[in-house]
Amino acid sequence: MKGARAGSDDALLTTVNLSTGYDGVCVVGSVDLEVRRGQIVTLIGPNGAGKSTVLKTLAGQLAALGGVAYLDGRRLDKLTVGEQALLRAMLLTDRPRTELLTCEDVVQMGRHPHTGRMGVLGEADFAVVEDAMRLLDVCDLRNCDFMRISDGQRQRVLLARAVCQDPQLLILDEPTSYLDIRYQIELLGVLRHLAKERGLGIIMSLHELSLARQVSDWLVCIKDGAVMAQGSPTQIVTCEVIDRLFDLEPGTFDPLTGNICLPVGHAGTKASHGRASLGPCGAEERSCDVGLQHKE
Amino acid sequence: MTGSGGQQGPVLGARRYLVSFVGLGVLVALLAVANLCLGSVHVSVAQLADALFGGDRTQTYAQVIWDIRLPRLICAALLGAGLALAGLLLQTFFNNPIAGPYVLGISSGAKLAVALLLVSIGGLGVVTSWMSVAAATLGSLVVTLLVLLVSRRAQAPNTLIVAGVMVGYVCGAITDFVVTFANDASIVNLRNWSLGSFSGSSWEDVRTVFVVVVLASLLVFLLSKPMGAYQLGEAYAQSVGVNVMRLRVAIIVLSSVLAACVTAFAGPISFVGIAVPHVVRRLLGTSKPLVVVPGTFLGGAAFCLLCDLIARTVFAPTELSVSTVTAILGAPVVMSVLLGRQRGRA
Repeated sequence: MKGARAGSDDALLTTVNLSTGYDGVCVVGSVDLEVRRGQIVTLIGPNGAGKSTVLKTLAGQLAALGGVAYLDGRRLDKLTVGEQALLRAMLLTDRPRTELLTCEDVVQMGRHPHTGRMGVLGEADFAVVEDAMRLLDVCDLRNCDFMRISDGQRQRVLLARAVCQDPQLLILDEPTSYLDIRYQIELLGVLRHLAKERGLGIIMSLHELSLARQVSDWLVCIKDGAVMAQGSPTQIVTCEVIDRLFDLEPGTFDPLTGNICLPVGHAGTKASHGRASLGPCGAEERSCDVGLQHKE
Repeated sequence: MTGSGGQQGPVLGARRYLVSFVGLGVLVALLAVANLCLGSVHVSVAQLADALFGGDRTQTYAQVIWDIRLPRLICAALLGAGLALAGLLLQTFFNNPIAGPYVLGISSGAKLAVALLLVSIGGLGVVTSWMSVAAATLGSLVVTLLVLLVSRRAQAPNTLIVAGVMVGYVCGAITDFVVTFANDASIVNLRNWSLGSFSGSSWEDVRTVFVVVVLASLLVFLLSKPMGAYQLGEAYAQSVGVNVMRLRVAIIVLSSVLAACVTAFAGPISFVGIAVPHVVRRLLGTSKPLVVVPGTFLGGAAFCLLCDLIARTVFAPTELSVSTVTAILGAPVVMSVLLGRQRGRA
């Protein structure tokens, strides 16, 4: 586990006391985080805590209100959009509406920063597009209209688009939304492959705590407009941190299974449930690891 | 709607583009010949060739062709192309397939500006074609920015259209007001012009139109790449390195100039801006600007040549306003876009 954060020679993205929000009103403040090459950093926290706001700022969609973000050692706000596009790609929660564009057309748009004045793709570009489509398993959708596939398929096509942009940093806002469990696991496998084999730095937000724990090297908890805690998954996914992060009754979250016990009528069984599931939980974790094909 | 979109590979796509472009080119050429030959003075193809390439321009038919039909033809083709491109730009900008210079009131704004120009200094008889283009550009820019302001407030795509139609009515009302109090000489000019017509195009007009439309169209073509990225929305366009602010300004200025140029010379012409890009996208089976921009240019030229031909000849010697014809041919296309969208959503 690359949990230990010694030395930042290979830091790809660093923020120092970053604060951000809309129309001058601060939503999240004092964000200090770092994404290194080959590392997956995940933001977790309750709805409306500002995870997307932080990601939008790192994505350059939103100007920081204070503090500094460094991308590849240079100040983010000093880079042109073109320079940023060569370093960083993203998957947003926006659902674009297109007309008469095939999925392949959409994936090819990721090559935008690498093509010439008129955006015509060369041999090398086609190869990169092909590779990205294979990685995300969307080759079959190649000639389908982008508006006539399922939400989950669209999510994968858009991610293939981001991958073929050939970035060093990948920003993903809720990448698992719309995906069924199989594709969630495959997607996280792809992300691990991108991080570990290709050395990309990845920062994303996730709702599923169990997935976040499995895939991430570093977790950042965002709550009430601030970073509440950050650390390796083993440090963060504990009863104390998670219950505090989501304002749960103490003991509601079971760190071993990732399960949430419903409070009504279960008050008496909660504590024992946590202990009782010690055994099966370990097994479950191993079986999940098999699902993540690209995990080291 | 295309049906074939599901199976076509890149090779098939390229062949489809080629066939479509050749088809559009042939269509423009045929319509050009028809426009030159048909009319109150009938000119045979042999006479046409003689008039165009022979030296003798003293014949009546040669004079009709050189002095009346050829400038009108070139104006109709270029203005149609410009208007269609203006529609395409606005559709890209607002991500709304029924946006267009007429629907959004931009043509009406340009018309108002030209009417004000004609009435205020028209009596002095010094209104050059460049002046009316400049005034129309100003008018269309003001309306575009106004509509933009409204659309920023209300995100729903239909609000945009309603806002545009309303602004169009207000501009129309003010134009009527101006016309009511204008002196007789200006009114005669205004009446003919404000109905929308390519008639009376001179070679001087052709020169101005050519410079404005061809230059603006080339610039639009050069915007193909960022426009393509913009189809996924502002955020994704920015993420691949598009300077969104600069692109937006470029689109607004170019669409205003194109729409204004058309209005200054031919009056407000409806539906070309919506119908042509739509048909061209269906024809090419894609909305990639790299092919849709030149396709729309050719399609707009062909459409306006056809409409002008119908306007001139069907009820000859009475001439229809070209807007009458574009509306009859174009409105069904708009309806089909709306219905198609409904179906797509279901």
